Amino acid sequence: MVTTYEELVPGYEFPPARYELPSSLISEYLKAVDNPSELKIFEEFVPPLAVGACALAAMSESLSLPPGSIHASQEFEFFQLVPVGATIHCHAKVARKLSRGKMRMLVLEIDVFDESKEKVQSGKATVMLPG
Amino acid sequence: MVAEFHEGDALLSVVKHITQEQINLYAHASGDFNPIHVDESFAANTPLGGTIAHGMLVMAYVSEMMTLAFGRSWLSGGKLSVRFKAPARPGDTLTVEGRIDSIEGKNGVSYANCSLECHNQRDEAIVAGEATVKLLEE
Repeated sequence: MVTTYEELVPGYEFPPARYELPSSLISEYLKAVDNPSELKIFEEFVPPLAVGACALAAMSESLSLPPGSIHASQEFEFFQLVPVGATIHCHAKVARKLSRGKMRMLVLEIDVFDESKEKVQSGKATVMLPG
Repeated sequence: MVAEFHEGDALLSVVKHITQEQINLYAHASGDFNPIHVDESFAANTPLGGTIAHGMLVMAYVSEMMTLAFGRSWLSGGKLSVRFKAPARPGDTLTVEGRIDSIEGKNGVSYANCSLECHNQRDEAIVAGEATVKLLEE
């Protein structure tokens, strides 16, 4: 089910999503962010921003925002290394919804867990919607 | 590791050139196909006047600088907060810079507090933010 901005209320929880992070996906991500070859650590561990991108993608699969919506700010906290090949579980909810005149903003909170239910990352995204 | 870092240290900067091809690659890798990033005709008719890079792509460059400086400490004990101040566009050259503002101890653990900025070739701020890293003991 896809939810629109108008339907969202603070506290709304998006359907949780499960992502596998195989080396092929991580290679594609590393190429996309022009990762320098000296950062060999990402042959073994997933870049934390790739985990964050998955969490945001999981949310966007069930959220329909108007074209032209843009990211205004982002916070992340990284708790654990995520090995390449791991599976993660992403949870997201609406923290705040602001609407003043033509300006509309959405604050979303994400938490990412590994297979043993240990939290590996948390974050907060603020998205600005076109008027 | 704690002894390696000092207040006032500048972090090694990261320089990246943004192209539409790179933005498209990021769209595929992240699954974020918002037309403001990938549809040039759509983006041209918005107040932004053209496509812009994903905020998460620019943020990845910030994380690259932090990983180069702090390694595993960043990946498993980092905290990052950024504000996207202006869009990064195809053709821009971005420079990410950072500095250790302070090192503080809490409950026997040392933390490095850093200020961060990413600016383009016209010295316009694209991203500003702060990061905290839990430093591993030697």
